[in-house]
Amino acid sequence: MAPDLATDAARLSRALVRWFCELTYQGMFATDRDLRVIVWNRWMEVHAKRPAADVIGRSLVELYPDLFTRGMDQYYRDAQAGRISVISYGLHRHILRLPATNPALGFNEMPQSGRIEPLSDGDEVIGTVTTIEDISDRLASEGELRKQIEVQKMARVVAEKAVRAKDEFLSTVSHEIRNPLNAVLGWTRMLIERKDVDAEMLARALHIIDRNAHAQARMIDDLLDVARIASGKLRLEMQPVDVRSVALATLDVIGPSAQAKQIDIRASLDPATPPVLGDQQRLQQVVGNLLSNAVKFTGTGGAVEIAVLPVGKLVRLSVSDSGQGISPEFLPFVFERFRQSDGSSARRHGGLGLGLALVREFVELHGGTVRAESPGEHRGATFTIDLPAATSAEMTQPHGRGAAAARRQTPSLTGIRVLILEDEIDSRELMAEALTSCGAEVVTASSAKEALETIGCSGDTSTPQVVVSDFAMADNEGFVFIQELRALERERGSRFPAIALIGYANAEDRRRALAAGFDQHLAKPIDRVALAEAVARAVRESAA
Amino acid sequence: MELTTIQQDGLVEVINIGFGRAAASLSKLTGQRVQLEVPQITMCPVDELSDRLRPVISSEVASVHQIFSGSVVGDALLIIDQQSAAILKELLTSERAMPLEIDASAREVLTEVGNILLNACLGTFGNLLHVQVSFSVPQLTLETLEGVVTSITVNREGLRYALIVHAAFRLKNSSLTGYLIIVLSVASIERLIRAIEQWERDQH
Repeated sequence: MAPDLATDAARLSRALVRWFCELTYQGMFATDRDLRVIVWNRWMEVHAKRPAADVIGRSLVELYPDLFTRGMDQYYRDAQAGRISVISYGLHRHILRLPATNPALGFNEMPQSGRIEPLSDGDEVIGTVTTIEDISDRLASEGELRKQIEVQKMARVVAEKAVRAKDEFLSTVSHEIRNPLNAVLGWTRMLIERKDVDAEMLARALHIIDRNAHAQARMIDDLLDVARIASGKLRLEMQPVDVRSVALATLDVIGPSAQAKQIDIRASLDPATPPVLGDQQRLQQVVGNLLSNAVKFTGTGGAVEIAVLPVGKLVRLSVSDSGQGISPEFLPFVFERFRQSDGSSARRHGGLGLGLALVREFVELHGGTVRAESPGEHRGATFTIDLPAATSAEMTQPHGRGAAAARRQTPSLTGIRVLILEDEIDSRELMAEALTSCGAEVVTASSAKEALETIGCSGDTSTPQVVVSDFAMADNEGFVFIQELRALERERGSRFPAIALIGYANAEDRRRALAAGFDQHLAKPIDRVALAEAVARAVRESAA
Repeated sequence: MELTTIQQDGLVEVINIGFGRAAASLSKLTGQRVQLEVPQITMCPVDELSDRLRPVISSEVASVHQIFSGSVVGDALLIIDQQSAAILKELLTSERAMPLEIDASAREVLTEVGNILLNACLGTFGNLLHVQVSFSVPQLTLETLEGVVTSITVNREGLRYALIVHAAFRLKNSSLTGYLIIVLSVASIERLIRAIEQWERDQH
């Protein structure tokens, strides 16, 4: 039997249409010339939730009226005229309103792209074909890609900024470190070359060299701290710390420069302030930076106030000044590294612009917060630090270097008579309280004269057994006192053990105090246990 | 073969109608005013196309290509440099474009824009010539200008001419330039020109 070509072609067409109808990865429907649906594939059944049997023979206008209200009818007219239209997601969002396939991707409706095109038989258009693609996955990955590109762009901007800041910083560092070095080199050369250097000039030169070397050492210390923080290598030695004694010790250090500018420094230290858990040395650095800034930016005759008080479960330390203040524009950046409010100010005040950055780093390492407030330029500024108060558990638990201090028993000083000489009232009271709490009987004096009178007038039963004296008092009182005390002893044939209190890390004072006749020295800020131990040791040694 | 001033004016007028239609579609789709400036048109033998375009368009281009067939046969392309293409997409969709190689959605939008422009212009030709023209599915490619020109010149017989239509989009205070290239056989060109001359006479 000869093959029936016409029958075969008709069968092939039917089979091909069936094959297309089974397509599941793309939507496809065809209409006749009058837009009545003639083919509706499996994908359309699934996603439009309409079985082919329900839609075939019905008009597209009737099935999806919104196609026409959205102006898509133009594309069907184009198709009827033989033209193909690409329908992009970017300009249309969808061809038919269909439910989203994967709600997790965040689309309310299925995002689509596709084509509306003529169905032609030779030159004649006999219908239309619409194909629809669900592009939710593609859009999600494009979105992800777009985000990554944004992130990379941001990272590049940040990195470029950091490089710029580092460049600026490097030039500041070279300049600032060079400044004190120039002074040191200049004065040294002068001493070497000049033949006629008298004592006064020598003293002046040495003083200037000393001051500049110290300034440079401080800059280098700051730089090292910044490097340690940046590399995560900064370790805090946590122990219970009395913020008031930190404040007092700092005042001792800053006092002379404030006096030189006739700046009135007031301290208000609430006796109810609980200790915090912290690194004594770092906290001292924090307060030192704030106070020296306050003095640096306050004009001659101005005022600086430091306050320590408990606020709920926090210990608050604030430093206020009546100085040049901070402009609102710069205020958000004061704690950023390498920032000084402007070039001219940086030149006027010198320094690396690291001080406040370190303050913030240290305070945050302590679990605290720091903020700056200023009503505006020339209207002063207030820096406030809040540190969490130590809990009773923290007070008794061992912590790093402080562990030994916390573990060891405070020695009993019951019945021991101690004379405290300190011109600063807050420090005096703090020490008196510490020793009284160990059972000591404490007498206090605020000047060498008063202290000597106390010793001279007292009978045997009330004579102090140990003397604790600040060394760095005004008018060299500490030095004068010990000299006169030792002279008095030679007359009376007795000897008082004497403990000197030395400003933090002041090696020169330490040497001078021992040379002048003190038996022991303690570094400020004073640790209660260390003070009590020193007194106990002094009593033991004088008895032996 | 060269166009007379009158023929040239007629072509500009006819294509400008198509441009008006395309601009109206784009404005409607994007909800913003999209304009296409009055086109400038030149004609050259297809083997000079490269030399004509090289000075005015950068080497890396996006092209939307449609082949049309029927009583007139030829190629129609929209060529736009890739950077302008990305900006055009951004302006039309108000969404940042990524490099076109990795941004299928941007390529799709550009394909549709090319499609709208080519349909509008060739549709106008079809109406003018009273012939049905069928189009292939538009294809977007990212390649060099030379590559695009090669793809429409190799393996084609007979002398063919290219109409180069300067297409300048204006939207959101920006202006972007692309080129519409319509490649026709000598016979098709002549039929087109006759039809335009007839249309001109009918107008006046």
